[in-house]
Amino acid sequence: MKIIKKEGFSTFVNALIENEPKIEGVKSKGDKFVFDTLTSADELQLDYDVTILPPKKYFFPQWEPLYTYKLSHTITAERVITADPFILIGVHPYDIAALLQMDEVFKETKSDPYYRKKREASTIIGVNIKKPSEWCFAGSMGCATVDEGYDLMLTDLGTEYAVEVGSKKGENLLGKYADNLSDPQDDQVQKVETEKYKITQMCPQNLDFPQKFIPDLLEKNYENIEFWEEHAATCYSCGSCVMVCPTCYCYDVYDTLDLTLDRGQKMRTWDGCLLEDFAKVATGENFRSATMSRYRHRYYKKGKYLFDRFGFVSCVGCGRCSSHCLPDIANPAAVFNDLYYETQKAGIPAGPTPAPAVTPSPEADIDFVPKLATIIKKTPMTEKETLFEITLDDRTDLGHTPGQFVQVTVFGVGEAPISVTSSPTKKGSFELCIRKVGNVTYAMHRLNVGDKIGIRGPFGNGFNVEALKGKDILFVAGGLGVVPLRSLINYVLDKRGEFGNVTILYGCKEPCEILFADEIEQWKTYTHTQHYLTVDKCPEDVCWEGNIGVITTLVPNVDFTPQTVCALVVGPPVMYRFVVESLHEMGVPDSHILVSLERRMKCAVGKCGHCQINNLYVCKDGPVFNFEDIKDAPEAI
Amino acid sequence: MKLKGAFFDFAGCEGDQLQVANLEEDLLELLDLLEVVSFREIMKEHSDEYDIAFVEGSCTRFEDEERLRQIRHNAKLVVALGSCATIGGINSLRNYKSLDEVKDTVYGDRADMISTYEARPIDAVIRVDAYVHGCPIDKAEFLHVVKSLVLGKKPEIPNYPVCVECKKNENICAFERGEFCVGPVTRAGCNSCCINEGTICWGCRGLVDNPNEDAHKEVLETYGLTVDEAINKFRLYFGWQRGGE
Repeated sequence: MKIIKKEGFSTFVNALIENEPKIEGVKSKGDKFVFDTLTSADELQLDYDVTILPPKKYFFPQWEPLYTYKLSHTITAERVITADPFILIGVHPYDIAALLQMDEVFKETKSDPYYRKKREASTIIGVNIKKPSEWCFAGSMGCATVDEGYDLMLTDLGTEYAVEVGSKKGENLLGKYADNLSDPQDDQVQKVETEKYKITQMCPQNLDFPQKFIPDLLEKNYENIEFWEEHAATCYSCGSCVMVCPTCYCYDVYDTLDLTLDRGQKMRTWDGCLLEDFAKVATGENFRSATMSRYRHRYYKKGKYLFDRFGFVSCVGCGRCSSHCLPDIANPAAVFNDLYYETQKAGIPAGPTPAPAVTPSPEADIDFVPKLATIIKKTPMTEKETLFEITLDDRTDLGHTPGQFVQVTVFGVGEAPISVTSSPTKKGSFELCIRKVGNVTYAMHRLNVGDKIGIRGPFGNGFNVEALKGKDILFVAGGLGVVPLRSLINYVLDKRGEFGNVTILYGCKEPCEILFADEIEQWKTYTHTQHYLTVDKCPEDVCWEGNIGVITTLVPNVDFTPQTVCALVVGPPVMYRFVVESLHEMGVPDSHILVSLERRMKCAVGKCGHCQINNLYVCKDGPVFNFEDIKDAPEAI
Repeated sequence: MKLKGAFFDFAGCEGDQLQVANLEEDLLELLDLLEVVSFREIMKEHSDEYDIAFVEGSCTRFEDEERLRQIRHNAKLVVALGSCATIGGINSLRNYKSLDEVKDTVYGDRADMISTYEARPIDAVIRVDAYVHGCPIDKAEFLHVVKSLVLGKKPEIPNYPVCVECKKNENICAFERGEFCVGPVTRAGCNSCCINEGTICWGCRGLVDNPNEDAHKEVLETYGLTVDEAINKFRLYFGWQRGGE
């Protein structure tokens, strides 16, 4: 620890401004405070209460280019990462705690270089809280002070600052620019400790119970609909609470195209799980359509899902959400206290949840820049669906397993997740069967053989083909569900000897919607392979020999051994509950049912938040799930 | 082949077309995408052969309907331009009074000569393919819509409130400055331009799909507005969307 007079500290800051490339600090904005570029030490407001936005904006900006592309006769795309060195002055401990949490989040599954490189380029000069905002409850969250995450940390001692050195970078900075540093007297060391203790006790808002109870309280109140509806009644779904949050990291990805239409940028911007269309897919289904369910999701994500994943409650008690919520329903301290008292009143015991064992698995960096690929064949299938055969321009195989998906880019239009429909046994190219429903899929249909697209992936968990070997398999495909299942059907048929009996049930709304009709004819030729087709309805003038009725009407009539069969179910969201029910009636155990789920996706690596169902991400934990693993996730089916 | 665009105006101030005319450095590149065949504010030529019709202004007369239908018939795509066309705009303020009173106020003893009815957005009369909200429209959003349509895309327009953009811009909330704003129920897409400049959101882009109006009335009253004042906040631009309530 060092001691520096306040005037000395101003001289230090002015020296930084003069000599270092970019100095950002806390400044006034009206009667509020923001982090902004400093032009003089006089602008610094180190006794501020809270800034409007957290310093997160420097590492995960409101709007950020991911890559640029050019669409002249050849398509080129180039990753853009801006990470110029900068020094951030005046960060409060709760915001440092939030950054430490974000570090964990942004390196899980795939490390995010856009975030990481900005973190590496930064120097953090923290300051202990002098006066907390009226909404602050950082003390209750254990984030009113921190022991790490800073290069230097200031504590206001009246006429001087105590400076704690947290890193070599911080020490060097002091060495280079700070004159008149002195060593602390014993009473000054003592005073810093007293100040820190005082800060933990002086927050105006508090949890009335130990913070460690939060995951358990949530665990026990998910179905307490009345509680959540009552609290969400005046929610605007305006997203203010999540926009100002230092630990929220949901994002959207979109294209901006120059007016010349031959150059563009892929951008990402903050998104929020509170917003109405956050979980809405192109076909119109909204997987979290009720305001209550989005409101509840925010508390669960903060207090339960991220705890289960990382071992921390992802709220640092800064109080920004509370101060920005006009109907005053976003105060986590108040909501958690309500939840605590309600749970107590109901006589339900609540206690600490042991932190989960977290195994960090930093893989390679996430790459938003897609690989270039070429459409080599385009086969119209129905009025709405077309089969595209695609090769990667680098001549590599896609290397997918059945059930995985890719992110398809139509340059200038956008990106959409599409299941791979060809079997991995098909080499040299792969196939996507695409229904036109949204901008990207319509644009895809307008492309022709020879046209270029972008491919990211394959992503997610597919079907575990090794585990299926030797087993009897029951495929249940509804509508477009046949598309991901075809990848596995063809794989199984190509390696027919390695699997047991195969039964394929496939249902559509009408005969004209049947996909892969030619291949279905060929299924008959394989041994121990049965297939049954059904349509919901058939127009009078159409010849139809199969069954008429929804797909569940087929299940009781087919011959399989329920105790040993593996049932693979893929179809529209409404189908799962009914099919699973009829499989249960036949005696198929949960663990023998595999489903593949569809959700909105942007990043495909478990970050952007759109595909999240309770604590699971469809893009990385799925899309193929064992029913056993999701039956307790109410948002799954 | 380059698409042909035509601009039309109904009851409105023509400020949205002025925004287009004022595109300045973007105008030449825009003309590479779009051949303008009709635009009364800036050219005297006119043609009825066009792909995209940009329609500004509200429909306020029976006679307007026939003209709108003709435009719809001629165009492949119809774009509503500005609040008056997209949501009825401030023209709809008059729907809160009786038509006779409105006519008397404006035209006095000649009121009988005037044919008019409740002001309405153009999609109350014809099908509309895309909307450029705002009073006036935002130039960048207009270009975004044109680019999207040229590429065969449905333009993406936010269905979340202005608060999202306002927070990203790190504004001090209008309520915290002691003012009143309808941003929490108004469709974003303007990049919260008015609040960025220190004023408030008046709601010119219309309500989001599912606004929590009851909550907002409660909030306005909590912050000190009377019920009448709160209702007036909603009437300025939301009249037609709220069915004249």
